[in-house]
Formats: sequence, C-alpha cells, structure tokens
Amino acid sequence: MRRSDRREFLRQALHGLVGSAAFGSVFGKLFLAQNAVAGQRTLLGTDYRALVCIFLEGGNDAFNTVLPRDPATHAQYAQTRSFLAVPLGSVVPINPISGPLNGGTWGLHLDLSGVAELFEQGRAAIVANVGPLVRPTNKQLYNQRGHPLPPQLFSHSDQTVVWQTPRADTRTRLGWGGRLADIFHATNPNQVLSMNVSLAGENVFQAGEVVLPYFVSPDGVERISAIATSQPNCGPANDWRRRRCLTFRALLDLPHAHVFERAYADLTRRAMATSEQVLAALEAFPRNDPAYRPFWERASLPWNPDNLATLPSLSAQLLMIVRLIRARSMLGMVRQLFYARLGGFDTHGDQLNQHPPLLSQFSQAVRAFQEVLDNLGLAQLVTTFTASEFGRTLTVNSSGTDHGWGGHHFVFGGAVRGRRIYGRMPSLVAQNNPDDAGWGQIIPTLSVDQYAATLAKWFGLSDADRDLMFPNLIHMSGPILAIPGPDLGFLNPP
Amino acid sequence: MPLRRALAAVLLGVMATALPPPADASRTIFESGFDEAPEGPYSRAEAARFLTQATFGPTLASIEALYRQGYNAWFSEQFAAPPSLQLPFLDQLLLAGQEQVWQDKRQEIWWRNVLTGPDQLRQRMAFALSQILVVSDQNGALEGNPTTLAHYYDQLVQHAFGNYRTLLEVVTLHPAMGHYLSMFKNRKPDPAQNIRPDENFAREIMQLFSVGLWWLHPDGTLVDGNPAQPGVQPIPTYGQETIRGFAHVFTGWNYSTCEPPVAPEGAPQFNWWSWTWCPAGPQGQDWRLQPGWRTPMKPWGEGTPFGDIYHAVAGSKQLLNYPGVTLPGGVLGPGGTARGNLGIALDNVFHHPNVGPFIARRLIQRFTTSNPSPAYVGRVAAVFANDGQGVRGNLKAVVRAILMDPEARRPELAPSHFGKLREPLLRMTQMFRALDARSRDGRIREGWPEYHGAQAVLRSPTVFNFFLPDYALPGEIAQSGLVAPEFQIATDPYIIRMHNFTWGRISWAWWGNPGLGSWDPLQVDLNREMAIAHDPERLLERLSLLFMSRRMPPAMFDLLLVHLRDMTVQNQGGEENWRRRRVQDALWLILSSPQYLVEK
Repeated sequence: MRRSDRREFLRQALHGLVGSAAFGSVFGKLFLAQNAVAGQRTLLGTDYRALVCIFLEGGNDAFNTVLPRDPATHAQYAQTRSFLAVPLGSVVPINPISGPLNGGTWGLHLDLSGVAELFEQGRAAIVANVGPLVRPTNKQLYNQRGHPLPPQLFSHSDQTVVWQTPRADTRTRLGWGGRLADIFHATNPNQVLSMNVSLAGENVFQAGEVVLPYFVSPDGVERISAIATSQPNCGPANDWRRRRCLTFRALLDLPHAHVFERAYADLTRRAMATSEQVLAALEAFPRNDPAYRPFWERASLPWNPDNLATLPSLSAQLLMIVRLIRARSMLGMVRQLFYARLGGFDTHGDQLNQHPPLLSQFSQAVRAFQEVLDNLGLAQLVTTFTASEFGRTLTVNSSGTDHGWGGHHFVFGGAVRGRRIYGRMPSLVAQNNPDDAGWGQIIPTLSVDQYAATLAKWFGLSDADRDLMFPNLIHMSGPILAIPGPDLGFLNPP
Repeated sequence: MPLRRALAAVLLGVMATALPPPADASRTIFESGFDEAPEGPYSRAEAARFLTQATFGPTLASIEALYRQGYNAWFSEQFAAPPSLQLPFLDQLLLAGQEQVWQDKRQEIWWRNVLTGPDQLRQRMAFALSQILVVSDQNGALEGNPTTLAHYYDQLVQHAFGNYRTLLEVVTLHPAMGHYLSMFKNRKPDPAQNIRPDENFAREIMQLFSVGLWWLHPDGTLVDGNPAQPGVQPIPTYGQETIRGFAHVFTGWNYSTCEPPVAPEGAPQFNWWSWTWCPAGPQGQDWRLQPGWRTPMKPWGEGTPFGDIYHAVAGSKQLLNYPGVTLPGGVLGPGGTARGNLGIALDNVFHHPNVGPFIARRLIQRFTTSNPSPAYVGRVAAVFANDGQGVRGNLKAVVRAILMDPEARRPELAPSHFGKLREPLLRMTQMFRALDARSRDGRIREGWPEYHGAQAVLRSPTVFNFFLPDYALPGEIAQSGLVAPEFQIATDPYIIRMHNFTWGRISWAWWGNPGLGSWDPLQVDLNREMAIAHDPERLLERLSLLFMSRRMPPAMFDLLLVHLRDMTVQNQGGEENWRRRRVQDALWLILSSPQYLVEK
C-alpha cells in the first residue's frame, strides 16, 4: 500500500474513534499529527478479548506435523518423505467431528500429544494448507505469466512480512495485528500501555501505523536503577536519585533536532511510564501462583516458580501472557494482541533431530497454556493461533527440507469450533503432484487473509473495516480455494 | 604541531584575512595544491567523530594521535597493523586445560581485541562483515563449538582489507558456514530417494551476501520495472530456477579430513560411510581442536580416480544472468568439478552489477549512517567496482571511501537525518575504551552481553542479523521514508537494561572500589575525570569530546552543568565521594541521553 493510501485508510479507520483520552498518552502526539479529526470516542466493546499469535520461526514443516493415518496415503507420504517419514505406528491418532474436505484419516506427529489432547477436547482446530495468496492460485495459474503472486515467495525475510501483513501483494512492514490495534487501541481505557504486547521482541504482526507494541521480557519488568522510579514527576523520594531523575527527564524532553532522537526519547518515556504500571500489575499476579503449575508439569519439570530459567522459552512467554491477561482490569485493557515466538524451524539440515524437540516444546506449552486458561475461566476470552513464514517443501534434501509455501496451522481456545480440520489436504505424492508449485512447494488452498480475517472478526472487526484492511479478501472466492469467502468458520461468533 | 599542519594553519589564516573563503575552501585548496595534503582532521572534535565511526570508540590518546598525524597516516598505520586474532587464545586455553572453553571465552577474546587491539579499523570492519556474512552460535551444530566460530571470525579479520571475491569463497567453504547454512554434505540429486540439493546456502548467498532480491541502480536505488505505473515496480534479481542452479553447484563438499572414496559409487567396495560419518579429526581428539572445523571444506573424492562423488554434474545450471555476464545466458553447462564449478559460480555472483551498491549500503550503515544518500552509496559502489587500479571488490579502498566520503566527513553537507542509533555493543565498547576499563587479573568476563543489549558477536538469532537493514520504526521515522535498523532491538526491556548496564558499571564496577571484593569485572577508571571534577565545565567539555565529538547541544550542556553544580561536598558525603559522584552522574546522564545515543 502506498503511504498516502495507508494514511487515507487510517484516517477512515480512526475517524470517530480517537477521543481526548488518546491525546494525553505518548501516542497522543502521533494521533494528533496524523488525525486532525477527533470525533466522539466510540467503544468497540467492553467484553475482554485477546488474540495470541505463536510464531513458529523458520518455517514449520507442516507435512511432518499433521500426518496421514490411512495406509494408502501414508504409503505415498512415506515414499515422498523418504528418510524423514514418520512411521505409521508413531502417528498420534485424532478423531475429528469433521475432517478435511477431501477426506482421509489423519493424525499428529508423536511429539504433539498435548495438541492432540486439546483437539480431542474440542479446544483445538487444524486449518489445512494456509499460505499467502494475492488471488486464488493453482498450478496452472502459478505458471501463467502475469498471474499475481506474493513477492519473493520462499524467502524467509519476505514471507515473514507477507504472512503477517493484511495483504500478500506488498512487503510493507505493517502487520494485521498492528492494523487491528490502530483501530481498537482507543477502546482500551488505558491509553498509555499499548494493547499489543510482544514477549519476543520486534515483529511484523504487531507493527501498526500508529501503535507500537509494548515489549516485555518473560521474566518480568525492570526499572531504571539509576533513578529508581519511572514516574513522570520522578516520585516522592527525596534522595539524590530524584534529582538525577529530573535531569534525566529534562534531557529527554529537550527539543531534538534529529528524528531518531525524537523517536528514542518517545520510546524511553513510554518504557518508563509502562514499566510502573506493569510492575504493579505483575506484583498483584505473582508468578508463584499454583495456578501456573501446569507450565512445569506439562513439560515434565518440577514446579519451580522462583527459577524461570528452568522453563522452556515458549512456556515462559505464555506464562507471562496469562499473568497479563489476569491483570487486564488493573491494566485497563479490553482488547489485546499478544505475540510469542518459538525459533529453530528452519530445518534444512539434521531435521530428524532438530524438528521433534520443537514440536514437543510447542505442544507442551500450548497444552499448559490452555489448561491454565480453562482453570481460570478465561478460555472464552482468549484465542491462540499459529503462524509461520511458510510451510516447508514436501520433497526432501539429503537431511531436511527447504522453504515451501502452504502449511497447516492450529487454532486454540474456548471460542474455537474445535475437533475439526478446515480446508483441504494437499496431495502427498512425489511425482506429478497437482498441488506442487515446482520442487515440493505446496500451493496454499486457503489464504492467510482468510485465516486472519476469521480471527479478526472474532476480535470484533466490522465487515467494512475488514474489507479496507484486507483489500485482496474480496478475491478469495471460487472453486480453487478449499473454502471461499472471508470467514473460514473455525470460531464461534462472540 | 607538525610542520605541515602549522603551514596549513598559517595559510588558512592568510586566506581568512584576504578574502572570506567558502566554508569548504580549505579542503579544496589543499587537495589540489600540495603534495601531502593536510586532509584533516582539523580539530580534536573532528578526530573524535571520525574515530567513533572507524573504531570501537575514541580515547583521549587516539584523538590526539589522529589529530597530529592526519587521516592518511592513520589509514596507512591501520592498514599495516597486524591482525589481532581469536583462535590462538582459545587454543591456548584448551591446551592449558585449566578452565572451561565455551562461547563466553570466544566473547572474551573479541572484547580484548576490540578494546585494546591496535588494529581498530580492521576489527571494526570484521565486526561489520560479521553482521552481513552472518553465522551464529544460536545453532545446534555450532553452539558447542567456539573454536570454529573464532576461526571464522579470524577469517573476517584477515580478509577485512582484502578482496570481496576471495572473502566470499573463504566464507562459502568455511565449515562453520557449511553447518550454519547447510552446504556441508549437500548432495547431488538422488531421484530414487526423492532427494534434491539443499537450497539454503544458494538462496542466502544471493539474498544476503551479494546481490539482494531486487535489481539496483549503481547508486543502490531500485530499478523500476514499469515506469508507466505509479510507484516503483521492483524487478527480482533471480528466480527459483537460479536458486536451484546454485543449489546444484554447492554440492559434494565435506570436511577436509574425510577418508577418500576407494571405489566408484555403486561398486561393492564403495565406502559411502566415509562421507556419511566423516570425522573432523583424529578419533578421541577434542572436537574444538579438530582440523576439519578450521580448514576449508573439500569435495569428497577430489584427486581420486572416482571424482567428486556427490557433486551434481548432470544437466546445466542456471546461474545469475545480467548484462555482460561471462556464461552465455548465465547458464553453466554440465560436467566440471565441484571446485571448478564453485569458482565459476562465485565469479558469476561477484561480477553481478548489484554487488557494489548492495554491499556498499550495508557497510555504510555499519560505519556511518542508516540512510546514506544515493550519491554516497554510488560513490562507494564505484570504488567497489574499481579501486582506481582496475580492481573490483577491494575492501581496503571501500572502507576508506566510506569513511572519507564528504557525506561522512562533513556534517554540513549531510542530510539532517545523517547518523544512526548506536548499537548496544558499540555503546559498551565506547564506554570501556574511553574510561580505560580493565580487570585486576586481565581477564574479561563479558560472555553474555545480549542479556543487556540483545546483541553479542556471532550470536544473532537468525541469518538476518540482529536487525534488518531496512527496518523502519513505525511513527515519524517510517513516515519520513527513513530506515533505522538498530531501533529493531531498542525494545522496552533492552532500553531499560542498557541504562542499567551503564549505571552498574559507572556506579559500582569502578577501578578501586573496595566494595567489589573478589568480583573482578571490567572496571571503568574514573580517576582521570575525578581529578577535574571540581571544574564541571571542564569535565563536561572532556566528556563531550570523548562521547559526542564536542557536539553536545548547549541546552544539554547547561542542564548538566546545573546538575553538577548542585552536587556539593556537603550533599555528596565528602570530597572524594563528591568528585566521584559528579563524574558518575555526568557520565550516566550523557550515556543514557537521546542526544548521545543517536550518533550523528
């Protein structure tokens, strides 16, 4: 999208949403600078809802994640996958209420037993063969000159962007989570803390035009020790740290000639303001609450809340997310988007050793996360979904798989119409595979835009805003796609 | 004052009285008029600014030395300085057997070399290259192997002023890169098993190490594929066919230490296991000392009658195609050897017209500014294309062109957004160097700097480095069409942790603090500044020179001056505390200010 288009979109999207509360925030200036129109502030809802994105970084091998269980399909798979094939006897069975459109019997990798349990409980669904598409695409169209395709397919950096943005025809680094936040931010009573929270650093998904994510470490929040407090007036303390704090703030607040200085000063002021709030909230919901025991137990670890280093990375990220969700009232949050990440999925080499531990960590972490949410009565409020820059090639190299395109994804939560597989499974044959774009890159039969729009609708996005945000969605129809239209149906209406 | 400098000063004085010259007259006159041009720096402030860009941080001594010798002599000295290496230190530790040798020891020798090595420019160039030609210990095959990464880094150091074509080959054949981007043991297609060559290295050498994804003009701007349409329609530099072609080229390589094949493939005596289970060295030897991890990979079978067994020779390979390409249509025909085809393929990459502007922009971003003008990129790319002696890819000429470019040297000619957010490691090294940080026993225990700053050398989370060259922070930066790579890791936790890291060193880990007990970290030396702490203006002048090239804004200077004057012997607990605390407050307030953190 060109910049002027983005501005126009944003102006429309924000029209009537930005109230006076926003102007007092650190974002206020941005809102002001971009939007002279300050209408009546409209709340988009008071019922809490959160989306949690788990990004499987590197490109998860979806074809060793969801596996065929009927002998004929498994034989095709085993031949194509060669030494990488999971034996039929090791496939964890699942029993969907409704399977993929093209049938078959399916199961999960043996290291996904936790995910399989959630699936059987109706807390999880599988969305088959999702990937970035500009228009519905099959092999014939793929090879046809001029057919619009996402830019730089199969490249990590580009597909990481394309997967997380609301349109697959640009590489503009604005995520659909960020765009949602641009619209929904004004709904939150708290206008200081961002509604987007990242546990895993900068990411495309949460990058908005005006809303930056708040970044938090799984092990908590620190203060700036030299000044002891992050309160705007430098607090009541009467020691020298207060004097130092006042000078520190005065330096931040001097007029800055360089655009980078202004940006850095904004970031620092924001980090200070939010750290006080989040610290207070986290103290109210401490990590050693026994409610969080499943994070350790599902990973077969002794409960040891004082030493977070014992917990696998994804579990630690999801634990912090639960604590923040529980503190939602204190933090003044009505809508939130969280981002967690598990890396290492770029299994070109040594995949037999590298991939299973990642699946295992993922499975144990989401299993525990869902269990904790269920126990705390939060299941209906939180929907978790996976993303990954691409699936991997169906065909193999000498010790792993290369960059692919479509892949299967999981959605978790109480609002999920679970125990179902949505969409169509691609052919698993090695030769003359009708779904193969070239050398094992599987052409998606559902678009990321459809997947994202389904999640965004549950979050509260109106149809009108949806069509602005996902401009290619209107093209997602017709027989090439497994499911046409803007709603894949895997979430119950809120 | 050296004679030539005195002469220059006199002449400048004469000119200044005769007719007011334009602001840049001194340069143009001297560049054309004298054999040994006094090319600057013309002040200690200019010297400090240059050293901030070209080294791991200025010191009072290095500022003085550069000011006296001038840029040309400084470059000659730096180009001649012997390289400071990492591997000898790790080997010495391993052979001594007195302590654990893991990645933290590799970090230690990096710190030592960049903090105290005389080859500052070489080290800075290697650091820049390590963020372009990325390998990382965040990788299953490499995390337990500090020595192969040290050896890899040493190669960057050794070739920092060499030729980029040579460096590309060294990097391609290094076993650390072989493991990181899985060219190691990459094999020709095996249709029976549905196995095809691994595309990992093929893709990244083009996307990240050489030509990039899109066609570039010589000044680094995108070529527009359809000027009739609004906006720029970029043109891909290569397609999947080319990636496949290179994937086939990069096959057949293994450790240099394998038993060779004793029979052709398929024969009963064929020893395939010598490929599959090739050891990197003698059985029982510590893998960190094994020769296979520190010598270039080798085609298995090279020099035997059976040839390069696992190299793909059947069929032709589509390589890069561009105007003036040597191979017809960029196609490499069937046959050849693994080594021969690799050489042809790397030549094919190296001579692509994108390489100059692509690498120039990335290097400029590491040294001087996030947003170089197209003209700046174009000037450096032109030097990459031809160093003046007809040589392409001369990195010595390139780094000099980057640092001596008018846009880098003369702030008045640069756009107002010139500069970059200081990256965390360079913040740390600058503080340590300026304050002569050292430990009592000479060791450096800074093995995990990423905890504070999300950055440690050869420890990037992915091959895409700690931050992307085109990252734009949402908000004013993105809306101005600017990029700001280092902002990608300036997230809330790391903003706070870096402030705390700085404060921890300044307030606690200072040389002579009895409270340290047996703890022996790098300790900053505050004594030199404490000696002038009674004179806060002088103290601030000095810190402004060391850390901000004397470009501290007056309003900032005044705020700090008031702050320091408010610190009295009475309210700071006695004379010595008063002096120390003035220095500590001045240092921390400067080092955590946006004015300092954006290097301009």
